[in-house]
Amino acid sequence: MVFLARRLAFMLGVLLTVTFLLFAAMNVLGDPLFNVVGFYAAVDCDAVLAGEIEDVAGMGGTSFGDCQVVAAAKEKYHLNDPLPVQYGHWIANMFQGDFGRSYKNNMAVSTILGERLPKSLLLMGMSVIVALGVSIPWAVAAAYRANRRLDRASTAGAFGLLSIPNFALGVIFFYFFVVRWQIFPSRFMDDNLGSRLHSLILPAATLGLPLAAVYQRLLRTDLITTLQEDYVIMAKAKGLSDRWIMFRHVLRPSLFGMVTVVGLNTSALIGGSIIIEQIFNIPGVGRELYVSMVRDDYTVVLAAAVVLTAGFVIINTAVDLFYSYLDPRVSRDA
Amino acid sequence: MTLSTSEHPVGEGPQAVADGPQADRVARRRLGGTFWLAIGWVSLMSVAAFAAPWLPITDPEEIGVGGRLEGPSWDNWFGTDTNGRDMFARTIWGARISMVVGFVSIVAGFLIGGTIGVVGGYLRGRTDRILGFGIFVMFCFPAFVLALLIIAVLGQSLWIVAGVLSVLSIPTVSRLTRAITMLFAEREFVAAARLLGATNRRVMVREILPNVLIPMAALLLLGLGITIVAEGGLAYLGLSVVDGFSWGKMIQLGAAPRTLRAGPWVAFFPIGAMFLTVLSLNWAGDRLRQHFDIRELGIGAR
Repeated sequence: MVFLARRLAFMLGVLLTVTFLLFAAMNVLGDPLFNVVGFYAAVDCDAVLAGEIEDVAGMGGTSFGDCQVVAAAKEKYHLNDPLPVQYGHWIANMFQGDFGRSYKNNMAVSTILGERLPKSLLLMGMSVIVALGVSIPWAVAAAYRANRRLDRASTAGAFGLLSIPNFALGVIFFYFFVVRWQIFPSRFMDDNLGSRLHSLILPAATLGLPLAAVYQRLLRTDLITTLQEDYVIMAKAKGLSDRWIMFRHVLRPSLFGMVTVVGLNTSALIGGSIIIEQIFNIPGVGRELYVSMVRDDYTVVLAAAVVLTAGFVIINTAVDLFYSYLDPRVSRDA
Repeated sequence: MTLSTSEHPVGEGPQAVADGPQADRVARRRLGGTFWLAIGWVSLMSVAAFAAPWLPITDPEEIGVGGRLEGPSWDNWFGTDTNGRDMFARTIWGARISMVVGFVSIVAGFLIGGTIGVVGGYLRGRTDRILGFGIFVMFCFPAFVLALLIIAVLGQSLWIVAGVLSVLSIPTVSRLTRAITMLFAEREFVAAARLLGATNRRVMVREILPNVLIPMAALLLLGLGITIVAEGGLAYLGLSVVDGFSWGKMIQLGAAPRTLRAGPWVAFFPIGAMFLTVLSLNWAGDRLRQHFDIRELGIGAR
């Protein structure tokens, strides 16, 4: 329990640090004011308002009124405050579910992301299912006759799969299954659950299959190690069937090593999903991040990045906790 | 992407067992033809990329060398794209940015991350904890999201793209280097050097570094594959180097639905080039790693 509390507190600390770094980076490297008021951001408005300068040449006649807008925007977005204070305002709003409004279409960011998030989560869930559903039978089949022809062929196959960049795999799938054979739709169909699942099969396979190759290699090695245990020979001597031994006695202890890697890779999926959502036209968080980035929609970019990063941190923590649940020694060491 | 775990826990299969330990040892001390084949492909790509301006190929930007979207032919080996540009020349030129960004970023990442790893792994104590915390924070970000953000904000020059990718490779590299360094830091020859009065810097440079370099070479090949793919991903989103084009950019252009329908080769040739290069790097890296993996050597091997 103490471990759980400490781990959660730690996660909160990491989240605050990471969001602060994101916020600071976007504010220091980018110019939030520019996104609100455009080129007026470059005008020395303090001087105009103080009456020191009448007009700024070359700026299309910046007038007193324009500068009032700039001043109002600065006030509204707390841009006059020092960075940590700005961050405080922003994070406090965020905890209350207020992610700000898009600079481009004035929609609430929380609404935009609330619409996108379920699709991304569904995609990730399906990718993990594909990865596990493919890798476990594959590894069992390979380990059952280790180093025979089938196993060697499957090792080569896994190596090939690992070497295809996932966006390239996406393009290949898109060409064959969408363009050529037209089995799957070219964009996300949001009519009902069936159509949603149907349109996510291909992207989930694109994300999941390379992962399946990683897991297969790992699990195969662990299975072969477990198969050398004495109790397997014992079970064999008792006359149990190969199938029974494999699934009841060997698979379970071998899955242990895979758990951490599955967790770590699941969080790595977040990065991959940005490109895949782009290829298969899925309106998820990753695609929203990308599209807003192209449009310079600063609040949406920041919020989407925070959502993705938070997901990353939360999954990693969950993996840690799950791992300590499986192996109590982990929490005792911490 | 995960680095592969150690292979063959039950020996190298029936062949090795039949020939006895002697043959097994000999077999294992060779890198094998496929390793050199893989290295050969990577070298060929590097040379072609480097020498592209002097090679007798058409100008990759010249429009209308062939017709629009013509399939592979004797004149245009890889076909032509929507603007009638020669895809063979473009595939070779595309290697330039892919390879340069990949090389520069992974080498820089190894220089910085490797130094952090060696220093942390050898000195331990407070230095290690401080460095370790920095690395930990870097691990907390999803790398690709971070790369997108930084490049979108800072701009898309070659040095920025390579710099961002190298920074993102630092945590993984330093963690692996640290683990390898710790293996050697406990060894007798290091203790001997320290007893002889060598400074920490000297021990790290003269004793630790040469030993760490060998396994790191394998990781460098694997890492190069990863950075080439990462650059491709960025380029696919239009966020890599603006001037010129890389394989990722070519794949993006070829993946536009209309182009893909009419001329799949526009996307598929750069995909093939990238796949073969990454496959070769993975294979060569994996072979090299196995070759130098101490745990996998028998007692008789030297």
